[in-house]
Amino acid sequence: MDIDDILREVDPTFHEVPQEKRDLQDLTRAWVAERSAPELLSWPSDGLFERISDSIRRQIERIEEMTGDMDPKTNFALIVIQTELERFKFLVRSYLRARLSKIDRHALHYLSTDELRARLSDTEMAYASRHQALLHNHYLSSFLSSFPPALQNLNDTSGGIAMVDTPDLESAVFIRLLNDSLVMGRGVDTDDTSEFQEGDIVILRWSDAKSLVESGRAELV
Amino acid sequence: MSYYDIDSILTDAEKIPCTFQLDVPELGYLDNSPGQTLKAGARVALPLWLAELLAITSTGSSDDQNKSYVAFDLPHALRNDVVQALKAEPLAVPLRDQSAHFYSLATHMMDLSEEPELSATLRKTFVRRAAEIALHARKLGGGTGKGDEGGSNLGVGGAGEEFLRGLDEWERRLFRKAHDGTRAGKEWMEKIKKN
Amino acid sequence: MALPLPPGLTQPEVAFLAEMELVTIVPRQRLESISLLGGQTPPLRPPHRAELPLWLALLLKKQRRANIVPPPWLHPASLSEIITRESKDNPDAFSSPPPPPSRAHPTEPGRARRLAESDANLSPPFQPSCTADAPAGYLPYHWLEVAEALLAHAGDDMPVAAGEVRSLLRDLVEVRAAKMRSSTSTLESFGGGLTSLRGVGAMELAESRGFVLGVVDGVRKLGASAEATRREEEEFGGGRDVSDDESDEDMGI
Repeated sequence: MDIDDILREVDPTFHEVPQEKRDLQDLTRAWVAERSAPELLSWPSDGLFERISDSIRRQIERIEEMTGDMDPKTNFALIVIQTELERFKFLVRSYLRARLSKIDRHALHYLSTDELRARLSDTEMAYASRHQALLHNHYLSSFLSSFPPALQNLNDTSGGIAMVDTPDLESAVFIRLLNDSLVMGRGVDTDDTSEFQEGDIVILRWSDAKSLVESGRAELV
Repeated sequence: MSYYDIDSILTDAEKIPCTFQLDVPELGYLDNSPGQTLKAGARVALPLWLAELLAITSTGSSDDQNKSYVAFDLPHALRNDVVQALKAEPLAVPLRDQSAHFYSLATHMMDLSEEPELSATLRKTFVRRAAEIALHARKLGGGTGKGDEGGSNLGVGGAGEEFLRGLDEWERRLFRKAHDGTRAGKEWMEKIKKN
Repeated sequence: MALPLPPGLTQPEVAFLAEMELVTIVPRQRLESISLLGGQTPPLRPPHRAELPLWLALLLKKQRRANIVPPPWLHPASLSEIITRESKDNPDAFSSPPPPPSRAHPTEPGRARRLAESDANLSPPFQPSCTADAPAGYLPYHWLEVAEALLAHAGDDMPVAAGEVRSLLRDLVEVRAAKMRSSTSTLESFGGGLTSLRGVGAMELAESRGFVLGVVDGVRKLGASAEATRREEEEFGGGRDVSDDESDEDMGI
């Protein structure tokens, strides 16, 4: 039993935010976060994306049914529905493309460990491994195969520098506090710890912000 | 630092003054005497990647274990009079004339040897010059101003142009970001009135 | 296919986000509830007010099916008050954001609790900070986007001539732009690990994001070796600068 259930029992006037509204809020937050974070974030594990794709599909079917109906009142409703559908499609596309660009840029990195691979959805995983395989074959046939075997690796770490590019987790980000929280941020001269209020906007390193964002105490903006 | 980063590769090619710590046979061509032995104490400018390698690699000779091949000094771009000039007036020094990768080079050097004072001075310099960069970017990007403070009075002319010419690569990138942000803001403003 | 944009929302994306803000409308025509992906719209019955997302309110407005009630903070008296606060009372910081809903009803604990629980973790654009019930005297996160959209498309719904509101907005933009600039010109704000921009707006942030983050990241890179040295010393010195007795005493306070 979660907090909502308890509240509903003790307080009949408590009304839960409808699932559709909550999904829109979650999708929006996921989009902003993915557009702002320097690294790929985890694919939502609660079926958010599957639910949204399903309702988008159903809405498209509904629009097709309604298009036959020429009643002017329904007609305006149709405009509203289509406008909103386009807004949802934009959110979904932009979210997926922001993820794709991170996967493209650091494909070998995100494929390198189980923990990192777990952040990708099944389709993203298939995309990343096939794309990487194609690239590797292309490199081999165009130039890598003429190198001595010892120089053909794409993941060499000798010479003190790794060939596999990784995102800079120390990059600065903007976050907004969702609860009053104590925030720790490492700096060059000092490490700061301060109490911030709900709604405050703070600049700090992503590595310091990450746990706040993942625990829902803050969001990226 | 990343493997495929062009700026970091170019920074690695910057020349660093090095002093050889021991005689190296056949290496005299580095010091304009081909075929000769390069004597210990010879001062040669080596690219950063090579200098770094030789400075941190121990020669492994039995007599003095910890001796490295070369000792290096701070590059010309970071010499004392440049740093003093930056301390006095950060805006007056055209960094690009010292090196197009001035900050990148400095960061790399500070990784190799501790330079706390240099680090503090460069951070102050960077922040002070960044504020000036933002000012110019805002004017050139059209700004969100009332329109009467357009390009002409601060503009690209004169001192402004000279300052912008002297930006190093980090600063140029900063300038572009500030400029793009201002311009995108202005474009949004204009678009909202149209539709 | 991959998105070619730099990290962080750009201005058009911020404007898109702001269109999700709820605003209050007065319908001029009946309209039945519509099931949208984001939930049911309320049925519209003139002259009863209703709250709708800005994008839908603008759609209705353009078709003359509704008027939009400007949020109280957009009234000239409220804007003048904010300008005074931003320029005279507190010239160094942005004025406070609107109080979050969980804190909004200190005198009605029951109501406050309910808001806090049912709207758990709500943040702009899903907090009702641009409706007719929003408090005057506070700028919400999407203030500039909502204000510009209303001025452009619902100027005739303003309580006074749109030109007057517009000119107050210009002044406010100017006062705050100067603060954004000065927030990046002091080294003190970057030697530490946290910089607060309490009260900043979404569009202001989008405009300065690339530059501000570029400065913070640059300072971090230039200070990386100094920072590493400091961490080593703190680790071996037990977190205290043993060479300096005075600062030791300070730390004891």
